[in-house]
Amino acid sequence: MKWVPTDIGVFEKTPEYVDTAVIPLLPVSFKEGMKDSAAMTEFTTLLTSQLERQLQGRILLIPGLSYLKESRSESLEQLKRWETELLDKQFKHVFAVTSDFDWKQDEGHLKGTLLWLPTLPLQQMDEKTKQSVMEDQVRQLMNLFIQKWREDE
Amino acid sequence: MSENRVSRRQFLNYTLLGVGGFMAAGMVMPMARFAIDPVLKANAGGDFIATKLKVADITTEPQRIDFKFDQKDGWYESEVTGTAWVYKTEDGEIVALSPVCKHLGCTVDWNADEKNQNMFFCPCHYGLYEKDGTNVPGTPPLAPLDVYPYEEKDGILYLGKAQPKGA
Repeated sequence: MKWVPTDIGVFEKTPEYVDTAVIPLLPVSFKEGMKDSAAMTEFTTLLTSQLERQLQGRILLIPGLSYLKESRSESLEQLKRWETELLDKQFKHVFAVTSDFDWKQDEGHLKGTLLWLPTLPLQQMDEKTKQSVMEDQVRQLMNLFIQKWREDE
Repeated sequence: MSENRVSRRQFLNYTLLGVGGFMAAGMVMPMARFAIDPVLKANAGGDFIATKLKVADITTEPQRIDFKFDQKDGWYESEVTGTAWVYKTEDGEIVALSPVCKHLGCTVDWNADEKNQNMFFCPCHYGLYEKDGTNVPGTPPLAPLDVYPYEEKDGILYLGKAQPKGA
């Protein structure tokens, strides 16, 4: 489910079925890594929206958390607050999805699961390759989710 | 000089007739269009979309096909990828099922669960459907999978808009 009124309407009626929240972490930088951060943001956004399409009945896609790459520590605090809030509500699983490797070092501080996926050079691919590569990525990510759900049963 | 010279009176008559004709047409045409408007309306939604699948390649094993079409959502137009599970029944009839789970809209997969072979399986809440799209009682979905109406043109499969089964 997406963060739009129609989906949230469905969510309010059947909250017991939606037990997983996904937070995309989207870096923004105006220093030398500007283009890289844009690529990471694009990739993460694409990936999570495709994932939402596949598993929309069980996951709620939170609007992306965008942060300045230089002051990521502030965003870490924010992410922690979000996780606490979500886990306090009915969510059993909270996944943070990102392409920014810096988050990896803070994985231990997080209550939820951090999924790091390296960016792919989507710009250099033609439409068809892009599509099949993305599909593969989404499938792998999906399996991670399904595995995690299975573990908890 | 030619015999039938156009006189001033004739020239004015022709000009008047021509201009008058245009003006009359300008008035009548829109009215006629309004009158037959329902006939001219573009058939939205009822269009069949070409898939890349040849009818001859359809087997009795469901296969996943993707097809692209433009979707207009208010002022926002986008290219959407649709998906269908297509197979032939024993009698040779083509069946095209929508992969959208009737429970909460996840994407179902064929043969994805080891415990439930030859069934459509929804990974979200473990919904199950028979091969013909019928939901298995006792699993979350309450309705069978939607069915795409199909057409065959030049050996290629065309799909329409998915409809609830039996509708």
